[in-house]
Amino acid sequence: MTLHEGTVGKTYQVEKICIDLKIQRRLEAIGMVEQTKVAIVNEKRNGSMIIRLRGTRWAIGAAIASSIQVKEVAQ
Amino acid sequence: MSPKKITVAFVGNPNCGKTTLFNAFTGANLKVANWPGVTVERKEGYTKYEGIPLTLVDLPGTYSLTSYSMEEKVARREILEGNVDVIVNVVDASSLERNLYLTLQLLEMGKPVILALNMMDIVEERGLEIDLHRLPEMLGNIPVIPVSARRRTGLDILLHAVVHHYGEVPDEKIFLYNEEIEDKISQIQKILKKEYGEEHGILRWHAIKLLEFDQTVQEEHPVDLKHIIDRNYEIDIINGKYAYIDEIVAECLLHKEKKAAMTEKADGFLTHPVWGVPIFLGIIACVFFLTFTVGDFLKGYFEVALDVISENAEQLLNFLHASTWLTALVVDGIIAGVGGILTFLPNIFILFLALAFLEDSGYMARVAYVMDGIMGKVGLSGKAFLPMVLGFGCTVPAIMATRTLEKESDRKRTMLLTPFMSCSARLPIYVLFSQMFFPNCAMLVAYSLYVIGLLAAILIAVVISKVTKAKESGMLLIELPEYKVPNGRTIWIYVWEKVKDYLTKAGTTIFVASIVLWFLLNFNQYGMVEQVSESFGASIGHFFVPVLSLAGLGLWQIGVALLSGISAKEVVVSSFSVLFAVGNINSAAGMSQLASALGGYGFGPLNAYVLMIFCLLYTPCAATIATIRKETRSWRWTLGVVVFQLVLAWAVAVVIYQVGSLFL
Repeated sequence: MTLHEGTVGKTYQVEKICIDLKIQRRLEAIGMVEQTKVAIVNEKRNGSMIIRLRGTRWAIGAAIASSIQVKEVAQ
Repeated sequence: MSPKKITVAFVGNPNCGKTTLFNAFTGANLKVANWPGVTVERKEGYTKYEGIPLTLVDLPGTYSLTSYSMEEKVARREILEGNVDVIVNVVDASSLERNLYLTLQLLEMGKPVILALNMMDIVEERGLEIDLHRLPEMLGNIPVIPVSARRRTGLDILLHAVVHHYGEVPDEKIFLYNEEIEDKISQIQKILKKEYGEEHGILRWHAIKLLEFDQTVQEEHPVDLKHIIDRNYEIDIINGKYAYIDEIVAECLLHKEKKAAMTEKADGFLTHPVWGVPIFLGIIACVFFLTFTVGDFLKGYFEVALDVISENAEQLLNFLHASTWLTALVVDGIIAGVGGILTFLPNIFILFLALAFLEDSGYMARVAYVMDGIMGKVGLSGKAFLPMVLGFGCTVPAIMATRTLEKESDRKRTMLLTPFMSCSARLPIYVLFSQMFFPNCAMLVAYSLYVIGLLAAILIAVVISKVTKAKESGMLLIELPEYKVPNGRTIWIYVWEKVKDYLTKAGTTIFVASIVLWFLLNFNQYGMVEQVSESFGASIGHFFVPVLSLAGLGLWQIGVALLSGISAKEVVVSSFSVLFAVGNINSAAGMSQLASALGGYGFGPLNAYVLMIFCLLYTPCAATIATIRKETRSWRWTLGVVVFQLVLAWAVAVVIYQVGSLFL
């Protein structure tokens, strides 16, 4: 599943990121890489969401969220 | 031997407090706020410690030192090519995990690094603890100094470390990547050593960069490594660094399960999927409500003062037997023009105070998220909305803030939209004309202009996105900082800088504009004129009458006022004072004097509204034009924007006037 399909309040682990290399680099720079745990805090109707990643909150767009393959994990 | 001079670069993640620290040391008053990307330019400042002069360099925040984005390039260039003696890596101690990634990159470069562990006050508030003995050990034995830039603690110790440790480089091998990578690093190091000699420093960093396929390093070190490097190892290297960060955090950060409950709770409301937008609009409406009401309440005192000054100046000049023309210049030109503008200071003050609260509380970054959906419909990301909100204050910094947008085309589109946000300079025009011609619903009329500006921006964005087929890419990516109680000092700096700007503008641009205008109105080629209508000014104004009369603005005085308004928008108001010789334009007497003078020409509420619309839409000011030129580096584009604004303002004014005339 992708992060985009995730539910608010749940925690996921990143399995793979498939996106434009430039954005992927930006994600890497903020610590979003394979194995990283991500919690979804909030989601908007247009698909952009607030996530918690390594202790920091981020707003990410729908396209980014749907490019991140995740699996659900316990918190 | 003690050094002659030390250059210190402040490097760190966005919103970690670099500029606050820089301000604290240099006494500078650079803008600080609680959202990522406030600093967009490299700034230098100076201080002294133990008699040694220090040059401090404040850099835009960056998450990484790969050269993919503008701020990463600026930071990396400064570190590699600038004359930096020591790097102060400012770290937000309350989010160590994320901040240490940049730290590890800096350490790898082998430059002298001092870690400034900022926001220690927040760490303590949250009940977290950091092991200050273990942390430096795990970071290659660099000095680690806990500070709080906001509370100004630990600052001396930091400078002490700078002066005494500025030449010390970190241990070379702080941690190991996996075996495969370490093996390749040592092979590449050998080759580099053979090629470039023992002297060539930080071989390990170059080797790592070559494994990451770093373009700059590859170009500078064209060695054949095909037999060693079979693919890009960047991801492995990133993972290696984060694995080590996990180790550091596990060993050095205690009680990290405690969370910032306040931020979670506040975000539940403020970023709500449905209520987020109405709440934002409510907050903005509140800001302007305060601006108008509290500002007007304070205005009375300014008016009294201005009356006293004006009378005394006249008496003094009469007493000194100054010539009539000089008295007229001082009283009708300078005091009327500049003084009239100063009476709007309370409104400006309240507006910036409110904006400072919004920015420093941490809400600004949320606006990007809240508006992401709406902006997406016009092909922009929510991040593009931040410059637009800043545009309510002043268009110039707002246009500079577009630098935080990654795509050049998005930047240009946002630059085109931002001037339609009513800046504080347009406020005096709205306040004056809405009170003069719509005394019963002045605030509503002023509100309507803000809304029309916003609608104009959205409409233009829609048209552009239709024409260029620009699609919102869903690529929003912005850090949402913790909410915090706005800092008194930060707010004070912010508001004082704006008030100072306003006063400076009154003392320079508006002062000069008032004098020039007074001369233009009182002279022609034959000398001083009896009738204003025979002056240079009138001739210039008459030139615009045919064009403006279609919009119901066919008075030569309006032509002159609008033309001079390009120097700064407040000048439109000061020009009206000088043009109609109104002593205190913002007082009840001044307003009725001006209203009746204008009324004599058949200028009524509809004309007044059209005038305000024109002022809303046409070119904000010379400074904005210069900034757009600087940011786009294109005169053609800049001129295009100016022509577009003028044509749009005129066309909309004509339509409103012509349609309005049918009904009124």
